[in-house]
Amino acid sequence: MAIAEVQSQETTLKPRNIRVNLPRPGPLVLLVPALASIGAVSIYPVLLGLWLSFRDTTLASPTDAFIGLDNYFQLFSDSQFWNAWIHTIQFTTASTLVETLLGLMIALILSERFRGRGIVRAAMLVPWAIPTVVTSKMFGWLFDGQNGIVNYLLRSVGLIQHNVDWYGSPDFALITIVIADVWKTTPFMGLLLLAGLQTIPDSLAEASVIDGANAWQHFWHIRLPLLTPTLLIASMFRALDAFRIFDLVYVLTGGGPADSTEVLSTLTYKHLFSALQFGYGSALATIMFITEIVIAVVFGVFLLRKMREVGQ
Amino acid sequence: MHKTAPHSKAQQSSTRQRALNQDVRSDKEEISTNLKPEDGIHRRDFIKRTGLALAGVTAASTFLPSVRRAMAAGTNPTEITFSSAKFYGKETIAEVVDAYNSSQSKIHVTYKELPPPSSSTEVHQGLVQQLARRNGDPDVFTQDIIWIAEFAAAKWALPLDDHFNAEAMKEYFPGVVQACTWQGKLTALPWFIDSGMLYYRKDLLDGLGAKAPETWGELIDSAKKLTSAGKAKFGFLWQAKQAEVLVCDLVSFVGSNGGSILGPDGKTVSIADDAAVEAVQLMHDLIKKYQITPEDVLSWDEEPSRGPFTGGEAAFLRNWSYVWKIAQDKANSSVVDKVGVVPLPHFPNKKSAACLGGYQYGVNASSKNKEAAIEFVRWMSSPETQLRFATQVGLCPTRSAVLDDPKIAQEQPFMQQLKSVFIGAIGRPVTPKYPQVTLVLQSEVSRALTSGNVKAALQTAKDKIQAIVKT
Amino acid sequence: MSRIQDFRQKPPQGFMFPSWDRVLIYLCALFIVCWSVGPFLWQMSTSIQPDRELMSPTPHFFPYPITFEHFVNIFVGKSFHRYVINSVIVTITTTFICLLFGSIAAFALARLDIRGRLGILGFILGVSMFPQIAIVAPLYVLASNFGWLDTYRILILIYLALGLPLVVWVLFGYFRSIPQTIDEAARIDGARPMTIFFRIILPMSLPAVVTTGLLCFIAAWNEFMFALAFTSDINHQTVPVGIANFTGVHYVPWGDIAAASVVVTLPLVIMVLIFQQHIISGLTGGAVKE
Repeated sequence: MAIAEVQSQETTLKPRNIRVNLPRPGPLVLLVPALASIGAVSIYPVLLGLWLSFRDTTLASPTDAFIGLDNYFQLFSDSQFWNAWIHTIQFTTASTLVETLLGLMIALILSERFRGRGIVRAAMLVPWAIPTVVTSKMFGWLFDGQNGIVNYLLRSVGLIQHNVDWYGSPDFALITIVIADVWKTTPFMGLLLLAGLQTIPDSLAEASVIDGANAWQHFWHIRLPLLTPTLLIASMFRALDAFRIFDLVYVLTGGGPADSTEVLSTLTYKHLFSALQFGYGSALATIMFITEIVIAVVFGVFLLRKMREVGQ
Repeated sequence: MHKTAPHSKAQQSSTRQRALNQDVRSDKEEISTNLKPEDGIHRRDFIKRTGLALAGVTAASTFLPSVRRAMAAGTNPTEITFSSAKFYGKETIAEVVDAYNSSQSKIHVTYKELPPPSSSTEVHQGLVQQLARRNGDPDVFTQDIIWIAEFAAAKWALPLDDHFNAEAMKEYFPGVVQACTWQGKLTALPWFIDSGMLYYRKDLLDGLGAKAPETWGELIDSAKKLTSAGKAKFGFLWQAKQAEVLVCDLVSFVGSNGGSILGPDGKTVSIADDAAVEAVQLMHDLIKKYQITPEDVLSWDEEPSRGPFTGGEAAFLRNWSYVWKIAQDKANSSVVDKVGVVPLPHFPNKKSAACLGGYQYGVNASSKNKEAAIEFVRWMSSPETQLRFATQVGLCPTRSAVLDDPKIAQEQPFMQQLKSVFIGAIGRPVTPKYPQVTLVLQSEVSRALTSGNVKAALQTAKDKIQAIVKT
Repeated sequence: MSRIQDFRQKPPQGFMFPSWDRVLIYLCALFIVCWSVGPFLWQMSTSIQPDRELMSPTPHFFPYPITFEHFVNIFVGKSFHRYVINSVIVTITTTFICLLFGSIAAFALARLDIRGRLGILGFILGVSMFPQIAIVAPLYVLASNFGWLDTYRILILIYLALGLPLVVWVLFGYFRSIPQTIDEAARIDGARPMTIFFRIILPMSLPAVVTTGLLCFIAAWNEFMFALAFTSDINHQTVPVGIANFTGVHYVPWGDIAAASVVVTLPLVIMVLIFQQHIISGLTGGAVKE
């Protein structure tokens, strides 16, 4: 009965005719501050970027002509581009999955009541709070093949025989970056999922007790579906951010060794900032943009479906 | 115990000001509440006083700046701007610029700081964006030695041959002057120099009875002896991270075999020639075959490779001049007084080649105050200022005479030892497309070192570079 | 509510919560703490070790000998406090405005009848997806033309634009999950939408607001690329730029950097400790009335 009550209270996506005391243009006014801030900063650069991607502009020379889709054709036949694209997809998938799972576990643990919960909550945030410039260098030190603590610890407990060359070897470098990112960003997911878990009323737990469900069923059938919208939104943002990973890779490996950790952001950075090829670099940025749109749309479709389901 | 002095003029005026404020405040309160007829006199007074104050303030504000300017300089000084990456030591660049400003009154330099050279891509980006607008700002700038050709070809840097003739340029190290020249025109004035060099453990070599190695064979020999005897954990440390430093190391190895990456015309690509292939093969063998270099160098740049050496774990190190000070610092190093420095080794019958680095001055081609800019640059590159930079900021001078100065012998004796190293230093490939060329080199050489397919990787590099420089 | 607490503390019969579950929870909590804080503790240890020890072959976890020279270095030699002040000003302003604009926009999108709300949400998300590195250069030119380089306002504006999408989306999702019955009850009592928002919805959403505020704060606090490009003197540079400035041409003062990161992270952690004690825990207990 408790469950039915809750379900009827859930909102659906169909716009209800709520009588609003404000005149028609009113609601839009509330959106203006946010939209204006975002637009002022983003619209001009994005449009400029799109426009530049059809030109062969380089800052160092006076060339600046319209060349249509030539940049894109060149991109698609550039093996370095595909190399970076694949690494970026690999990294995004791995880190989003791991961070979502870990974040969910952390959120579940932290939603239980136990002594010292506050300290754990504060401790959990530390990786996210350390400045990124420090984290990158710190992981470089931690995972140093010769003097790093990680190798030292792993060797002392006997898990490995010899030092692992973490980010000096093409085989391990990308994994090291994933580990570094998971450490740094899991708090982001954990915090958002925790906030999401707290919207689920305790009365539901009560109801499950009455209905005789065990902890796992309670989680799988009740909490998880209610958590799904938050889960999808948080992982969507995480996936989009992971796609644009830059600092960690650039400081730790510079895209190497042998391009084994080159991701789209570092490639774009090199073309824009080092080689000053604004046309080609903008085409790269546009491809990143389009891929992200695809990712967002996929998430969005899932999100819409879940929200409709929950509404029923 | 002194008597409090009578109120100074400033204090008197401030008390007057305070009284005025109080009057204004109280008058305002009275105005806002019901106005009584007897307040009429207060109001007139108040208006008179504020009117006088306002008049006084406006008069002073129009007067003062011009008075100040007139007092500072007989005539108006020429204003120029100077942008430089952030260096510091006992003194900062801002302080040096201030010294210039106070030493004369014809030119006033405003110093705009760019990010530190550790963020060199950002410095490059910031500089390029300013220069590309061609509006004359900044009038003077500093450019990393690898950007000189790029800025010259883009016509952002003013050719300086008319102001600094060949005689004047003879006072600088020839390698640096060559790096400052593009297509026969001098577009940069030397500032400071740095190059790679070989650091070695004197004590360990003395134990072997060997002297500092001159050829790669000798180095490999000594290193192997030391590592197998357990005297050193690593034989030879250098940098192979996929970053600019890899190209610096590449130039040292390839140059030491008489090879080159790009011909002097900037169009012939020689990275796939035998000399270069042999050199890169050596780089690979140091790691994989002779194993005197750990695989970790593939992710190491300057600092991670310096750490084990000053921590006492390595016999040889290739790095820049900054390591010396750290190696001699008791707070930082375990090898104080045990380190020696020589030019890098070379292949048999060839010459040592070290990679040239350092920032140099440039004058904006669109500058609206070219004379003033050149004056300033002349002062900055003068022997006295170079001496100052050497002793106060730790930047090695580019004038060989300055390097011999007794003051340097006193405060930075190590620099004098470097003369032989600097004389043999060569630059990286000179081409306006260097930023793109270096990316290709970093990628392909890193691939060569990890996979072992040296010839194939260098051939790919040659093809790509040829496509870049042929335009 | 006491029944719920009982349920959590003592498993009632029929509910499978064996007592070793508590042990598991404590173990997991311990693991979380070690995993999260371990590297930071190592940073703290690094910040009080002399440079020489930092380079030694075996990493020392327990600092010996102890030195505070790094902390002295960063404040006396490098004026680190000025960077901190700049960061505090920029970040607090950004977070406050971001929460204000974002929550109002999310409320409007979630509750008020706005056509094309999905389009607007999509636009907000879409425009923020363009790679930041491609945005730096055009924005730099714009800011330079307006004379806004080296100011607080340009950083605040940019961080606003970077943080608003997350705030709007998360709060939108959160507001939608609050039952409409609450709104309707208030409206029957004669409340206008803005009153409903500020007096009812917002206090109920404090967990989400504090969470997004915290994330927004930390993101602005750690942002590096724009800060490096748009500020060039110590009057406006923020902490990440300050730390990057510690590095000489090649030499990385590892001890100083560790000290700086301790100085910068510890207050954040303490702030979180204080905040969440008072606000996050147990709010939803009485919020959703049946």
